[in-house]
Amino acid sequence: MKEWVIETSALGKRYKGRYAVSNLNLKIGKGEIYGFLGPNGAGKTTTIRMLLGLIQPSSGAIRMFGQPLHKNKMSILRRIGSLVEYPSYYGHLSATDNLEAIRRIIDAPKERIGEVLGIVGLSKEAKRPVKGFSLGMKQRLGIAGALLGSPELLILDEPTNGLDPAGILEIRELIKSMPREYGITVLISSHLLSEVEQMAHKVGIIRQGELVFQDTLESLQQQARGCVSLRVSDAERAMVLLDGCGIDSSLAGEHLNLDGTDDAIVSRAVQELVMAGHSVYRAEERRKSLEELFLRIVGEGQG
Amino acid sequence: MGIRSFMGLLASERLKLAKSPIWLLVPVSPVLAMLIGIFSNLADVAPGERYMILQAGVFTLHALLLLPLLTGILSSFVCRFEHSGGGWKSLLSLPVSRTGLYAAKFITVAVLLAAVQLLMLAALVVAVEYHGLDGGIDWGLAIPAVASGWAACLPLAALQLWASIGWSSFAAPLAINVAFTLPNMLIVNSETFSPFYPWAQPSLAMLSSGTMDFGGFAIPLETVLLTIAGSFLVFLFGGLMHMRRKEI
Repeated sequence: MKEWVIETSALGKRYKGRYAVSNLNLKIGKGEIYGFLGPNGAGKTTTIRMLLGLIQPSSGAIRMFGQPLHKNKMSILRRIGSLVEYPSYYGHLSATDNLEAIRRIIDAPKERIGEVLGIVGLSKEAKRPVKGFSLGMKQRLGIAGALLGSPELLILDEPTNGLDPAGILEIRELIKSMPREYGITVLISSHLLSEVEQMAHKVGIIRQGELVFQDTLESLQQQARGCVSLRVSDAERAMVLLDGCGIDSSLAGEHLNLDGTDDAIVSRAVQELVMAGHSVYRAEERRKSLEELFLRIVGEGQG
Repeated sequence: MGIRSFMGLLASERLKLAKSPIWLLVPVSPVLAMLIGIFSNLADVAPGERYMILQAGVFTLHALLLLPLLTGILSSFVCRFEHSGGGWKSLLSLPVSRTGLYAAKFITVAVLLAAVQLLMLAALVVAVEYHGLDGGIDWGLAIPAVASGWAACLPLAALQLWASIGWSSFAAPLAINVAFTLPNMLIVNSETFSPFYPWAQPSLAMLSSGTMDFGGFAIPLETVLLTIAGSFLVFLFGGLMHMRRKEI
């Protein structure tokens, strides 16, 4: 059996009769980068707050590292580093002192401050007051703070929010290196698929508080694969004809969509149609992007 | 929560305050009190009563106004860093117990207030020396006044800390504190209301040394201390419960 770092069962949080999160079953394995996706307000931050013990679930249970969170909160939190929404910092203190304020609480070794500043590339700015930092630098300092206690699990809530493309790239490379170099499991939330698709192994998509997709990124890509669209003289009769030859197709206006993009099937379909006297005007590949698929998943059940 | 991790929390609070301007506030009231003492005119006072009048003069502004105000400011200030930019979230995502954090913040305020009270004692010494009073400072009167003034601030600090944590704002609890401190001058005149008014307790405790025997000051110090202990327990428990249940 696979060892889950995070496992929630039927987790729910109700605010004034309305569920912000309901029946959530997250499963995050060791060493994974898990992309937790959903539009703003779907319940990502609420879920993360429950995972960190900041709010109490209304229903369901959370197990982390195989232990129930409500019973072993302190020992579990000791193994987690987190960055929730905004990087919090003490503006009047230097980067080193900001980390020192955390270090004194978690009792990490003193050398660790220099190490984590090195990991996030802030060694040169260590002595400067943090209020003069750019957003990207503050974000990196936040990640340094999360890494300070040498965690086994990193929980990052929208870590690239408000960053410029260069900053996003930097943070992404940093996160990608976590499982590889330090064996850290990462949960990262975002409202953009494009942001996590280049680093996540597994994605969970949350919509209106419910998990609507949870699988590997490859499986999502499978679903996003394209189809070949044919424009023919009489689409309806053509579909019946192809059906007779054992080729699945579907009608889309004046077009006929073939499932899959397999060369052999496409050429056979065209051949059958031409032999039966149909005119084939166009044969084109239609590719759904992951982003489109994501928006469709997220958009379902609305309107 | 172990003693070691609690010391870590305290050390962390200390670091946050160490490089902040809060330290400038600590000597303000004692310096003012010292000046009031130095410029007091004791010429018309009978030599036997000079010391009593001087001590009351040095302490009055502090006990009535500045000490309750400062208690509110310090209580808000220790939460200030957490209010900005999701600080509570990051702090409580660390392996810290909420009770421990609350206690660390409360102790920080209590220590700062103790520093203020010690400086008040120094201010009184300077004033007494300046006027060259016979027999110098009467420690038997001054130390209980300063100590019970400090004790009287603790329920207020607990209440203000509760408000600061509950409100998630720096300014709101401060405004409340000012609004409730200003009527002190009227409230202390009332023997009926003053025992139940948390903001008046520091003045009752610090000034009830016999020079003033009207209104709330006529209440024996033992009664005042009892009220202080009771309200302290109520406010501390309330704030702690709130902290433990707060949804961050």
